Amino acid sequence: MSLHNFVTIIASPRSRVGKTLLARMLADFYLHNGRNVMAFDLNADDPTLTQFLPAHSTVAEISDTNGQMALFDRLVADDGVYKVVDLGHKAFRSFFTVAGEIGFAEEARRRSVAPIILFIASPDATSVEAYADLRRLFPQAALVPVHNEMLGSAQHRDKFPVPSAGPVLIHLPALTPGLRKIIERRPFSFVDSSGAAPLDVPLDAHIELQRWLRRIFLEFREMELRVLLADLQSSLQVQAGS
Amino acid sequence: MVKPTVILVGADKGGVGKTTVARTLLDYFTAHQVPVRAFDTESPKGTLKRFHPDVTEIVDVTAIGDQMKIFDTLGSADAKVTVIDVRAGLLSTTLRALNDIGFIESAKKGQISFAVFHILGPSIASLDEIAETASVVGDANYFLVKNFVNNATFFEWDPATYNSYFRKIKGAMEITVAKLNEMACEQVEVASVPFVGFVANKNARGEAANYSFVLRGYVRHWLGNVWGEYDRVKLMDLIAPKAEDNIRQAAG
Repeated sequence: MSLHNFVTIIASPRSRVGKTLLARMLADFYLHNGRNVMAFDLNADDPTLTQFLPAHSTVAEISDTNGQMALFDRLVADDGVYKVVDLGHKAFRSFFTVAGEIGFAEEARRRSVAPIILFIASPDATSVEAYADLRRLFPQAALVPVHNEMLGSAQHRDKFPVPSAGPVLIHLPALTPGLRKIIERRPFSFVDSSGAAPLDVPLDAHIELQRWLRRIFLEFREMELRVLLADLQSSLQVQAGS
Repeated sequence: MVKPTVILVGADKGGVGKTTVARTLLDYFTAHQVPVRAFDTESPKGTLKRFHPDVTEIVDVTAIGDQMKIFDTLGSADAKVTVIDVRAGLLSTTLRALNDIGFIESAKKGQISFAVFHILGPSIASLDEIAETASVVGDANYFLVKNFVNNATFFEWDPATYNSYFRKIKGAMEITVAKLNEMACEQVEVASVPFVGFVANKNARGEAANYSFVLRGYVRHWLGNVWGEYDRVKLMDLIAPKAEDNIRQAAG
């Protein structure tokens, strides 16, 4: 089956691990590549993603069936739009409970949409357990651990195993405090800053930001290719078996 | 070998979800490629017929002509399973009528399989129904169904009282039908299609529909759980008893 687009869920049961930053960068990665993108902010208390990307994001709510329909029906639509979900830690359990119950990952696959879960790894038992649960409950989704260097240098690779075929760990390099201050302005798009340096950003900071961004975009590109390759391999195996 | 099977779905009280359970049964047998037919005794309205028009006929189960239509055709009908959705208040009456025409006796002899799905309501009156039907149910496979689909809480039930009633019927088994998401339930009602049709995103004419994926997911999950209960009580063994059961029966 050929995959038409991706729906990526940025998840962690912990707060303040860099989910929104990763969601912003992924949305900008798609925009940078000329693709249609829509991001969903599931942080009802503090929807910061919509402040950074007002034109390409919306606040979502899944506490009632209407909200669930508004979100999941759009996520599985094969409409050529790449979707990014910034899943707040408070909505983590309910999101995956609903997703499991309604067969979200299976339906996405049926509609040629690749479901990807970018899981921000942290060494605490809650995260390790949640990762293992997702691996068991969503075998149709590509589960990709993300190592955010800003959380520390430890890799915890053994606690977040990846399948032999498919995407490997994504590495999110740390940013210097000066650059962090720049990217925390709202609204802020990495894509807008990828050309000439904005007047209020020093040239050296701009160059450093570009270098950092290129590394992340390269990781996203590799992840996409690995997802497509894994899909191709499984299609070939099915064909060989039939 | 497939035996003609009659399943009576009833309660002596309205609004406990009899038709919902009858619908899940029709879907269950259809999914197992067992030809099925249904009789809706809610004359003249017929809720079950609205969802399964191709296999359902509206009858008056107290009328002799309609009793003949149902029971005299058991052996000759293409459908091996007959589901009868008994109107509220008629379960005991229907069972007595079946006793009078010798149907329950035939079931006892193993010529046909007979099962009663007794849908229980949340009030203590439901327990009295068990006692009442127990006296006329004979050797039928008796399933007591706790139906939570319309949000029943069974709040009036004392477990000890319930168990004392439950034990009155030899071999009675309990089935639990979980609650279905309210909006999903409502949408299936509006669509007037079988649950499996809704899950498959088909309208009443079998054409592609545009139901919410979320609601379809909820229905699929719920229906899977209900069918899981039917598998647990080995419902399919009613229709095609295993060889060892046949041997045991032949050996008396």
